[in-house]
Amino acid sequence: MKVSLFCNTRYTGPAPQGVWPVPGDSYSPEIAVSSMNRTLDQMRLGDEVGFDWLTVAEHHFAPFSMSPNPNVLAGALTQVAKRAKIALLGPDIPVLNPVRVAEEIAMLDTISGGRIVAGLMRGTPNEYVTYNINPSESRGRFQEALHLIKACWTEPQPFGWQGRYYQHRTISIWPRPIQQPHPPIYMSAATPESGEFAAENRIGIGFAFTTVHRAAAAATYYRQQAELHGWTPSPDHVIYRLAMHCTDTDEEGIEDLIQASTQATVGLSMTNKALAKAVAESSYYGRDAENQIARAKSRGEIKERIENAQVLVGTPKTIIAQIKRIKDILGPGILDLSIGAQMGQKTLKSIEMFGQKVLPEIHAL
Amino acid sequence: MTDLAFSEHFIKADGFNIRYLEAGSGLPLICIHGAGGLRVSEALHILAHKHRVLAFELPGFGASEPNLRSQSVLDLAKTMNRAIEALGVSSYSLWGNSFGARVVLNMALEQPDMVKTMILLAPVAIRSTPRKHQGEPTPDQLYAHPERLGAMTPLSSDILEKQRQLLQRLKSPDRDADLEARMANLTIPSLILFGTRDEIMPMENGRIYKELMPKSNLMLIYDAAHALDADRPEAVAEVVGDFLERQDSFIVSQADGILHQ
Repeated sequence: MKVSLFCNTRYTGPAPQGVWPVPGDSYSPEIAVSSMNRTLDQMRLGDEVGFDWLTVAEHHFAPFSMSPNPNVLAGALTQVAKRAKIALLGPDIPVLNPVRVAEEIAMLDTISGGRIVAGLMRGTPNEYVTYNINPSESRGRFQEALHLIKACWTEPQPFGWQGRYYQHRTISIWPRPIQQPHPPIYMSAATPESGEFAAENRIGIGFAFTTVHRAAAAATYYRQQAELHGWTPSPDHVIYRLAMHCTDTDEEGIEDLIQASTQATVGLSMTNKALAKAVAESSYYGRDAENQIARAKSRGEIKERIENAQVLVGTPKTIIAQIKRIKDILGPGILDLSIGAQMGQKTLKSIEMFGQKVLPEIHAL
Repeated sequence: MTDLAFSEHFIKADGFNIRYLEAGSGLPLICIHGAGGLRVSEALHILAHKHRVLAFELPGFGASEPNLRSQSVLDLAKTMNRAIEALGVSSYSLWGNSFGARVVLNMALEQPDMVKTMILLAPVAIRSTPRKHQGEPTPDQLYAHPERLGAMTPLSSDILEKQRQLLQRLKSPDRDADLEARMANLTIPSLILFGTRDEIMPMENGRIYKELMPKSNLMLIYDAAHALDADRPEAVAEVVGDFLERQDSFIVSQADGILHQ
């Protein structure tokens, strides 16, 4: 099993809570600079202690994650991380220009010497407000954008694209990806529609904002669909994201998480009820809407979060046991670990301890 | 947009009585159908609003007499050029679907000076990918969106057999070195369209046309199969219409980006 480190570029200063978009009037450039540097420091350490991948993600208009363009952060990481792959999980392609995304990823693949993992995402509901895109078009735009991005990477001759959402009269990108035919592609497969599309197009899948049991059910569906299309996904086709906080004792880990949970949890669409309602009324969630909305809200108390495999917490020994349980239930090839508690030196210690004491065991799984 | 009615006509050439359907006015667009026979797609109905569309039925297809004389696609192309000449048309654009695109290529190579632009749709002239399906193509191989088609009357077994024998005689190699060498000299502004869901002639073949004719334009029609002008008629008509009007300058957008003044 491989492990990725996902250091969310959270703004560390005080900011308004319970609102999206988040006003910028209390924004401090100095705090923003130190927040960005903290992320780069954590990622640098992750690379040094042996994490296989480093993850970046796209979110807008909130201090929750100051990474509106994950490809920019990934560009910085190509110089910070000497060894680890850089996982874009990822650009929200339905709200972006797909040709630009293809160009940026090809550029990153070239700068990094072929270390890019290309997660192509639909994005959380609020991202549709960001660039004024109708969330009902989300899936149609996603599917077309993904095909267009692949064509940009693989077509050796200039070509035009007469799509439903995207039209280009001639395309021939430079630079082109180092990895051939293109970097490995992942997408979210929480919904049945996404699982079917990923299986049909032989794309890897990732799960976030969910529980291990919900993810396992969705992964089973994806694997069944893949069989119908004549192939069998490997463990490396499945990424599972959860939080991680590694400590000297289990009690300390729990206490840290309780303390961290009082930190601002600002930024996603659930803090804007009008937005959440309008998106729920669009066709964004698809045919499994009720389950998908419940999934987004499935964040309970710490004990429940451990049970649901939404967080790894405790000593290296405890965490190894928690990971083995996830392996048994879901069978992912890659764990994507976000920072469980942002606590300065303690967080660096958590990353280091995980790298030294957990990673060797997990790599052998 | 109201639909223009196509009227039926016949023209004599090389001893054949050749049927064609015509609508619209403007620069003539000569259309040659694929191996399944003449069908005027929704895309051609749209194009007839700005062009004089002449959709020919190749001798030996449909209700015409069996064609026992044409020995090659080139023979057939020469016959079609004579039919156009007999109509008194001296400057025109060519449109060919699938097998018809091979006929059109040969027509253009024979009389390049008369051809203003050339449109090849899912052309069956070069094949570099293995055949995924054998035998007659089924509707779900031809169409990504059969639900968008109107009611279709299936051809009688006699007509199918007659067409099959002719196509068998006209069969060409997957890679035709002579044709490809001649294509390289073509300077007619050309638009070559492939559907991203075409399993009969996959879009990967498109790049070879572009290699042979570097000045041609390759256009991928998203979510369309082999019968791309039936699957996404508006999308095909829009890009073809623009190309007929502006040729290679069509790469420069003239779309209005202003939302409100």
